[in-house]
Amino acid sequence: MTHAVKFHPGLMLLEQYVEGSLSADVALAVSAHIDLCPHCQQLSHDITIDQAASLGEQNVSAHDEQQDWQQMVDFITSQPGLSAASVQRSNALPQVASVTVNGRTFEIPRALSRLAEKHNKWLQLGGIATAKLPTGEKQHVSLLYIDKGTEVPNHTHLGLEMTLVLAGKIVDENGEYGVGDLLINSPDDTHTPRTLADEDCLCLSVLSAPLKFNKGLTRLLNPLQQFFY
Amino acid sequence: MLETTALTGHHDASNRQKRITQRMTITTDNEIRTGQWEDALTLVALNEDKLAYAELFKYFAPRLKAFGMKMFGNEQQAMEMVQDAMLNVWRKARLFDASRGCASTWIFTIARNVRFDMLRKKQSRKDDISADDLWFDGDYPEQESNSSEHWDTILMSEKLAPHFDALPPAQRMVMQKVYLEEKSHQEVSDELAIPLGTVKSRIRLALDRLREAFDDTRS
Repeated sequence: MTHAVKFHPGLMLLEQYVEGSLSADVALAVSAHIDLCPHCQQLSHDITIDQAASLGEQNVSAHDEQQDWQQMVDFITSQPGLSAASVQRSNALPQVASVTVNGRTFEIPRALSRLAEKHNKWLQLGGIATAKLPTGEKQHVSLLYIDKGTEVPNHTHLGLEMTLVLAGKIVDENGEYGVGDLLINSPDDTHTPRTLADEDCLCLSVLSAPLKFNKGLTRLLNPLQQFFY
Repeated sequence: MLETTALTGHHDASNRQKRITQRMTITTDNEIRTGQWEDALTLVALNEDKLAYAELFKYFAPRLKAFGMKMFGNEQQAMEMVQDAMLNVWRKARLFDASRGCASTWIFTIARNVRFDMLRKKQSRKDDISADDLWFDGDYPEQESNSSEHWDTILMSEKLAPHFDALPPAQRMVMQKVYLEEKSHQEVSDELAIPLGTVKSRIRLALDRLREAFDDTRS
């Protein structure tokens, strides 16, 4: 865990994440990145404080000011507060979970821990295994395991591909990515990610459209693109 | 904090109300003005103080509604958000931790989470990403603060001038007062009537934005 995170979501994505305007699957990848990245923990904290100031700047119309709120106040204050026990629970440190694949057990960051415990079964294809997280039909969020010394065939993205390294390391034409690094590939990007000979890798993968495989025989994989998606 | 604890221990409700009202009407003293909502939340947390809650409600509910109207574009959902958010403020007051930020920041995040979950539920999915997954309500382990000192030389660079102008107005204002007018963070906080924490956050954000711009010009 001594790896310094090098690839961040960037200010624009962080701002939309804090605002709550990102689509849920993209926000989940950003949130898991933040769990692994002290730099973005500080940034998102600062962005929250900055954005929250807008609440005080809302123009309140005279109508809303004078609206009869009493009924709502009475209803709310008749409700019980949280019990001491649940206060204790909420103050606990970030929860982490773990998943096991290929005989290896990996720790999963807080943002993914609830969903990772409910992951679908692992599907294997050579040195690659993938398990979907139950995040709704239109979202394609999965855990992606790549065994050591394995190459994912060269592919293009028909939509946005976000890959967050949760354990180990992957390399592609553009560089080397370790724990916490977030790769964002747009439809124009083509790459061939692979693992090193001595280290496997677990990633979170968020896809907005299927992958398209480009080269030679691996084009035959295209019917299998559902495997990744 | 200590003061309010003592206050609730020894004074009756009407005195308390008077004290709160007094605090709200003092607008010249920033220290007290920025502390009023945190104090009120503490009173709600300590003994479910309905008067303190009513004051909080009176200020925040109409603002949350205005906020919700922009987000949802209709009054019914905006009001649903106000009720859910303000109910959470009442129920979860004990979870508020002033060391992590001021009351309005806490309430802002509650409303954001309520809104997110409302929009998800509308799509009626059971196994789904929830606000609790996305936004951690707690403290990450402490990290060493990275100082902004080495920034001073980079800030002198002429190349940064256009990016400085492109900062969001609120951040540019704070940066101008700190770096060009050489004011202390506290002075800026007093002058702009914003909490000290907000000043520090805006400086860090502006520096990060400039760093992104600077890295882009280099590559």
